[in-house]
Amino acid sequence: MTDYALSARRSSKWGDMWASICANKAALFSLLFILLLVVTAIVTAITDALGIQILPYDPNLTDMNNAFIAPNAEHWFGTDQLGRDIFCRVIDGTKVSLSVGVAAVSIALITGTLLGAVGGYFGGRLDNLIMRAMDVILSVPSILLAITFMAAMGRGLDKAVLAIGLVSIPEYARIARSCVMSVKANDYIQAARVTGCSNLRIILKHIVPNITSPIVVRATLGISSAVLDTAALGFLGLGVQPPFAEWGDMLARSRSFIFSAPYTLIFPGLAITITVLAFNLFGDGLRDALDPRSRRR
Amino acid sequence: MNISKTKLFAAAMAVVFAAAAVTDASAALSRKPQDNFIYASSNDPLGLDPALVDDNDSGKINCNIYESLLRFEDNNTNVQPQLAESYTVSDDGLTYTFKLRQGVTFHDGTPFNAEAVKFNIVRQLPENAVAKMSYAGLVYGDVAEVNVIDDYTISITLKKKSTPYLHNVAMMYAAPMVSPTALQKYGNNVSEHPCGTGPYKFVAWDRGQQTILTRYEDYWGEPGKTANLIFRPMPETSARVVALNNGEVDAIDGIDANVIPELEQAGNVILKSTGMSTQYMFFNCDPKKQSVTKDVRVRRAIAQAINVPEMVQSLYKGYDTPATTFLPKVIPGYSDKVKPVSYDPEAAKKAFAELGVKHLSIITYSGARIYNTVGGQVIAEAVQGYLNQAGVDVDVLVYDWATYKNKLITDDFDLGFMGWNGDNGDPDNFLSLMASDDPINNQGMWFNQEYRDLVEQGTAIPDGPERNAIYEKAEMVMAEDVGILPISHPTILAATRPNITGFSIHPIGLTFMRNVVKQ
Repeated sequence: MTDYALSARRSSKWGDMWASICANKAALFSLLFILLLVVTAIVTAITDALGIQILPYDPNLTDMNNAFIAPNAEHWFGTDQLGRDIFCRVIDGTKVSLSVGVAAVSIALITGTLLGAVGGYFGGRLDNLIMRAMDVILSVPSILLAITFMAAMGRGLDKAVLAIGLVSIPEYARIARSCVMSVKANDYIQAARVTGCSNLRIILKHIVPNITSPIVVRATLGISSAVLDTAALGFLGLGVQPPFAEWGDMLARSRSFIFSAPYTLIFPGLAITITVLAFNLFGDGLRDALDPRSRRR
Repeated sequence: MNISKTKLFAAAMAVVFAAAAVTDASAALSRKPQDNFIYASSNDPLGLDPALVDDNDSGKINCNIYESLLRFEDNNTNVQPQLAESYTVSDDGLTYTFKLRQGVTFHDGTPFNAEAVKFNIVRQLPENAVAKMSYAGLVYGDVAEVNVIDDYTISITLKKKSTPYLHNVAMMYAAPMVSPTALQKYGNNVSEHPCGTGPYKFVAWDRGQQTILTRYEDYWGEPGKTANLIFRPMPETSARVVALNNGEVDAIDGIDANVIPELEQAGNVILKSTGMSTQYMFFNCDPKKQSVTKDVRVRRAIAQAINVPEMVQSLYKGYDTPATTFLPKVIPGYSDKVKPVSYDPEAAKKAFAELGVKHLSIITYSGARIYNTVGGQVIAEAVQGYLNQAGVDVDVLVYDWATYKNKLITDDFDLGFMGWNGDNGDPDNFLSLMASDDPINNQGMWFNQEYRDLVEQGTAIPDGPERNAIYEKAEMVMAEDVGILPISHPTILAATRPNITGFSIHPIGLTFMRNVVKQ
């Protein structure tokens, strides 16, 4: 009844998806939280670029007389070893984690989807070549591969993006390839070919639009693992240049104070956990929403 | 089927690895806990050949295996006889004649005599020294000839008078006596097969795991009180603290002020000893490299921008004292008349603006060092904070210790951090570093002829007010020309379980463990 009314009103695929996400509380809250993160990241990035300070303290300003202050009304999350305000650093770190996550996933998504689509569409030797190359990348644990890349290329955020992006290409290539193989067999593809469409046109116009859902779901989940990988690289000292704030780096630098000043560790840790959780829950919700079989269960 | 196969393989590998872990090394350990004293530091030793290492982590182990002709008193650097029973110095101050102790044997049974001493010296003379012998120049660089007079008498003639000489031959680097038999057997490198005359002999070194020594029963003096010494590297400070609190290890070092309350709460004993070391920041003055810090006005502005006392108090919680000179207070020649550039952020800001300095780059190391318990990155970021406030944008590049030491030589940079832990209590051991042409010693390649002349002069003058006055002058020249920025003089901190007695850290950073007792 209600279901019938809903599906009648929103007949588009995206509309259905939206309704399904709204029905899933966890996914909805996660989405709101992610939007909050995005707004935070964009606002801090813009104000930073304009030289305006909207945070109560400059996140990189050291104040040696105020080191290791426990959370209080002035410093909500306390201060670190160099007297920097942890709240401001956690907030400031959002843009690093998010931008690395999104940029790395974009690289992986675009490259991986293209490689997978080409392999799946043409098949044969080319497919074999691409997929075996992907297998080679997959055969090494991704974080280990990322660390190796970073060790070779040096430290820095741009390199972290590349490293994390490169190691996640195979996931997208595999998904894209299997989707393409199933879509390729459809009659409308044959029809397009008969009417003389070029291969490129078939791939871009007829195949890619039909394989977006699984890839979007994968990308959402991929951001959460990219955020984790960023934190892991930061933890190993391969991420940002000091003094810029990055959650994993903050965590690594505070681990000697786990007993004497636990707040230096807890807040960046929470930031990582909650962000990763939000992307995972949202990704799950999105998958359910996009999968007609699992919808409205 | 696949799963069971995988499991089988995993089980097989587990057995293989477990078997590999239980080497003969652990078998040597006694089952009685009182017999095994376990000491955790942050690093593994570089090597166990005293001629080939320059790090404190190796020195702490080596000082239980090896002995030198002379030794330092228990908590200062006055020299005492050790393998030499006595010595005389010729009237011209150039020839030292050592009467050697009789009845001493190396751990491999080789007798200790004048030939053995000569063998150790000749091995490190300038013409024979290999690259890794970083202390050979200091200890043996001035040796003109070595004569074996009889089995237990040896005379050493120097090219020029050297006041620090007797302190140098008491050191734990280059000076210790190694068994000539072992050196011949292992190709002039006993890093993995150490063999000395000390109270403990070597059992095993599993790299990154542990180094085990056991009491040498034929030791010429009073033997060690505990049967076995085990040295374990544990890089994480928090891991060492937990290990000590659990009783997994008996003593730890390399701790910083932040963990002291926690250690005390767990009932451990905290040992503090005034270190003989200085942490400093150097400025790149190398004429071959591009750096604005070649200009003394820039160096002065940088020094003015940094509030050293505030920084040291905040980072080291009062355990380390802010430094005003390169020489620590306990070394003769230290003078409180030497005044470093004082903190003046406004003057610094003005000077940076006038000189057009907008950007500086810092390179630093990642971990903690004996002279810097909070680690190189933290001190670099603190300095970065001060320079930012003076209107200068600062890059900080962080490398692990070994890479850092290479980057110092190969890379362009403006500022870097280093420290020096005195080896022998002589002022020349400190001040000669900045008079060196070797970037290993003089990392910023600061060059000042007046300073060099004074340091050179100081080596030939006997200890006393006249020599101290020269070093005071040298320090003043250095402060005026801002050769380095002295940061701090550390307190060496260590902790033991309450049932340990007789453990101490010598001001030169070594751990002589003969008297350690575990109840």
